[in-house]
Amino acid sequence: MKHQDSSMVVIKTISYIFIGLFAIFCLIPFLMMVSGSFSSEEVIITKGLWILPRQFSTEAYKLAFASPKLLLGSYALTITLTVCGTSLGLFLISMTGYALQRRDFFLRNKISFFIYFTTLFSGGLAPTYLWMSKYLHLKDNYLAVFLPLLMSPWLIFLMKNFIKSIPFEITESGKIDGAGDFRIFVSLILPTLKPALATVGLFLALSYWNEWYNAMLYLSNKSYYPLQYFLYRIINMANYLKQSTAGAQVTVGNLPSNTLKMATAVLATGPIVFLYPFVQKYFISGMTIGAVKG
Amino acid sequence: MGLAAAMLLPLAACGGGSTSTTTKAADNGETAATTAGDSATAGTETAGNTTAANVDTSKFVTITMLVLGNKPSNGRMEAALAAENEIYKEKINAELQLQYIEWTDWQTNYQLTLASGDGSVDLIGTATDWLYAWQMVQKGAFLPLDATMLQTYAPTTYEEVGEDWDLCTKDGSIWFIPEDQYTQWTNHGIYYRGDWATEAGLDTITNFDQLGQYFQYIVDNKEGVIPWDVSGANNTGGLLGGYLGSNLEITTILGVDPAIFTYNNDDPYTVTSPYMDGDTLVEAAKLFKQWSEAGYWREDVLNYTGDSRDQMYAGKSGADQHHTQTYVTTTRPIMDEKQPGSDLQFFYWGEENNNVTRDLKTHGAMAVSASSPNPERALMLYDILRNDETAYRLHNYGIEGTDYIVTDDNKLDHPEGYDASTDALDTNFWYGRMDAYELDQASWYEGRSELFEELDSKAHDYALTKFAFDPTNVQTEIAALTEVYNQYIPSLAYGKVDDPEASVTEFRNALKSAGYETVLAEVQKQLDELKASEG
Amino acid sequence: MMTKTKTETLQLNVHKVTLRTKLSRNRTLILMCLPAIVFFIIFNYIPMPGAYIAFTDFNYNKGIFGSRFVGFKNFEFLFNSGKLWQLTRNTILYNLAFIFLGNALQIIIALMLNSILSKSFRKVSQTLLFLPYFISAVLVGFMVYALFNYDYGFINGLLKNMGKEPISFYSKPGVWPVIIIVANLWQSTGYGSIVYFAALCGIDQSLIEAARIDGANGAQVIRYILLPSLKSTAIILILFSLGGIMKGNFGLFYNIVGTANANLQPMTDIIELYVYRTLINQFNFPYSTAAGLYQSIFGFIIVNIANAVVRKIDPEYALF
Repeated sequence: MKHQDSSMVVIKTISYIFIGLFAIFCLIPFLMMVSGSFSSEEVIITKGLWILPRQFSTEAYKLAFASPKLLLGSYALTITLTVCGTSLGLFLISMTGYALQRRDFFLRNKISFFIYFTTLFSGGLAPTYLWMSKYLHLKDNYLAVFLPLLMSPWLIFLMKNFIKSIPFEITESGKIDGAGDFRIFVSLILPTLKPALATVGLFLALSYWNEWYNAMLYLSNKSYYPLQYFLYRIINMANYLKQSTAGAQVTVGNLPSNTLKMATAVLATGPIVFLYPFVQKYFISGMTIGAVKG
Repeated sequence: MGLAAAMLLPLAACGGGSTSTTTKAADNGETAATTAGDSATAGTETAGNTTAANVDTSKFVTITMLVLGNKPSNGRMEAALAAENEIYKEKINAELQLQYIEWTDWQTNYQLTLASGDGSVDLIGTATDWLYAWQMVQKGAFLPLDATMLQTYAPTTYEEVGEDWDLCTKDGSIWFIPEDQYTQWTNHGIYYRGDWATEAGLDTITNFDQLGQYFQYIVDNKEGVIPWDVSGANNTGGLLGGYLGSNLEITTILGVDPAIFTYNNDDPYTVTSPYMDGDTLVEAAKLFKQWSEAGYWREDVLNYTGDSRDQMYAGKSGADQHHTQTYVTTTRPIMDEKQPGSDLQFFYWGEENNNVTRDLKTHGAMAVSASSPNPERALMLYDILRNDETAYRLHNYGIEGTDYIVTDDNKLDHPEGYDASTDALDTNFWYGRMDAYELDQASWYEGRSELFEELDSKAHDYALTKFAFDPTNVQTEIAALTEVYNQYIPSLAYGKVDDPEASVTEFRNALKSAGYETVLAEVQKQLDELKASEG
Repeated sequence: MMTKTKTETLQLNVHKVTLRTKLSRNRTLILMCLPAIVFFIIFNYIPMPGAYIAFTDFNYNKGIFGSRFVGFKNFEFLFNSGKLWQLTRNTILYNLAFIFLGNALQIIIALMLNSILSKSFRKVSQTLLFLPYFISAVLVGFMVYALFNYDYGFINGLLKNMGKEPISFYSKPGVWPVIIIVANLWQSTGYGSIVYFAALCGIDQSLIEAARIDGANGAQVIRYILLPSLKSTAIILILFSLGGIMKGNFGLFYNIVGTANANLQPMTDIIELYVYRTLINQFNFPYSTAAGLYQSIFGFIIVNIANAVVRKIDPEYALF
């Protein structure tokens, strides 16, 4: 690779410039949010948002934490949902994935299609809502947020493909040792799944952390809401913004509502963004094996 | 009697089926299985002798009441409710809990909650105008009531409503209990600051020209203030309806969606629509485009979600739009406190042409959910809440000494340090208030009675109280009309169109192709039938 | 070798044995799939017959199957309202833009990442590109508002700084397709490019070395080795997204456009928003369900056609 040809030089130069610009393009809205949250309300209203704070102020954060009951409650709820949902989901998905890739499992194609079919056809919003609320009684129940995100056909598909790359001999050797299928899965297969678990786990964690839709549909009389729905309410309901700062000695109407919204956005998003560096190592290899070898 | 028994039987089945969800409060050790059947039997037995005393209340039940509004988070509602529940526990072995439908997306959540019919709600706050009571009846959300049932379980209420039951009757059943013993004015208009109006050389504002001058004065002289900092998401119609009502002698026919059908005040049995005919809509659209361009509201008004009232309290909005009741009880007193000298005034729609409609007696009403597991106890509880002064005051005012005090001149006031914007009780019981138990509040605007008198002198009754439109034959068209209405009206009302005249034409053509004529004919047909039946 | 023969005999036996023994042999595996089966039955299959609402005049008290059957009456309104064409067009065009622009951009970026040798640059840029994938639709909507609103928006601030007149984006329907598509690309490109990049990492390096020795330049390597190797990944990803072509990323549209600003609707309305709005504004379960059912069936047909075409070209890639 030492002999650089001219086309490669051009390609490389363009690559550096384009990727660099695209990375900045991805970053700007985040910078704008963060700097907005650290600005004074006044400067935002008069001069607009910018990528660096024009008049540094931590007022919005002070206010967000002045009576943090609602915010902290949302954090606790979201963290619980994310941790429980991700672990349970991972277990169920990998268990299903393992069974579905076993070529000696005569129902595997049928069950795979049974699962895949749900991406093609659905009952729709109204019937699902009625089923969930009228028959399952999940209205105003956190399970309405927790359960539907546990599994998805795409994640099962991803996991199945990944496990496929594990030599069948491992299963065979387990059988020879007299282990049952479930034992083989738990003690022989699961330990080899690290990159896949990291990859699928990241997707699951993201979907739990970013959940707002089911919360919007099913939760209405709760003290605490999942973080993103909490954010939704802060952004869209002037009244809730007021409630979330009740106790802080600020005259209603003098609330720095714009900076407060941005501070809440930063607080609601921060933790999940910091998760990525920890799983990045596994993530790329997980994607390589799972998604690519369809 | 036979009818009552027949009606209660399916209820018994209902109650039995869903006991698991409703007996969580059964702390008295009663077995759940026997009760539903028992209460049905009890109902049949006592149906003849009209007292609730003989009703079997051996099983403790929780009655859930659906109310509109944001659930308060200051703990005061829970405390007051706990005290109130002692009364219910003692009298009928039940307790009350509130389920709130928040203001954000309230229409959706209200409808979805009723639609789910899962038995989680017993009492439903409703109204024939703003909460679509008749549509809900048609969709089967409410339990049909009758005189026997009401005499048995809510005897006091039954007596006092008297002939007003007519307003709630359709197809031989009573569908809800009206808030007919309560005087209020919920006619809409816009609040403006008297001090700024005076500065602008306006004595009072009684028409849209003056309102425009007032707004312009604010743009020119009040830096950082938006004349009317409204959120288009929360107030889709803007000033449009007010403009039409202030320039035409018309009244909107209630219960027909979308609310574009009206009658002329001198001929209530002929349906018309200013949205389709005449030039007033075009004038309005032109005016609002002018206002929009002059910056009387935000450029992004349709996507802005702020709270114009709070902005007004903070001195950042020159106006807010709601009704008389809110003006007298809330915005005027709070403005006097937060913006001393602001002298908040109220320009109500129809002020210039004396076109004001009195409140309906069903502007608030209470219905029993069709899927309520305990409809008898729900009625009994409502009867107490509405007629027992102690329960009534606990529910509406809270705990005396903590939430409110009664002054020497028998007015309601609040203890030292009480802040209405954070300490409110917010039980939002607008479905059976009684003048008899209401206290005037010390904080209320003192010009209240004058304003009420003025309104009373101008107002006329809504002429079609008995008109319950049945949309069955034109459902398709109604849906299409609503869609058209929702698409065009916000942009017309906030001047977000390039050419008002062309947009109105486009809107009217869209209405026509959505089936306007068919719906108009159906409304007219039903009005004719009503007229004939009234002789 | 031993194991292989063993598997073969095992499979041979499978063909001879009865269903009963097959079931008992696979008992554990079936049990392991059971949670997933139950899950999809409860949350996906049971609501399906509920689409019957579309054929009734739904009564709250009588429930779905107790309500009166009205045939195709509810679908009439979809067609009569004249909206159907607009909705279908918007939904499909947006999705085509998302799918094809998205995948093209992702492939280009993956190839570029591949040609960048500096590991640290690659890692940092990958992380930044992936960042938008981590945030919720709620925040995307809020960011769009923060960028484009008239009062304090980033873009308008920029314009004002340059001495230009601010633009009222929320009154200009024409700009929204661009904004929505860019927002979608902004959020999904990083993720997609990692998938493609991962595929490139999986290529046997000796192939490239051999080509180099044969005198191929960088562009030729990309053209003849790298690009073809992405074919299967691209087909799978595109087929998967085609399955959702009638769905429209509801969260993105809902949070960016909202339901109040009808001004933008001609350019931004998609079927899912319409389904949702029919429920909100009209509380009309039958109509909402009818629109949803139309969406489901149309989508089902499209993905079947796409799959059949792919199967015809190369059965290897077919989804089912």
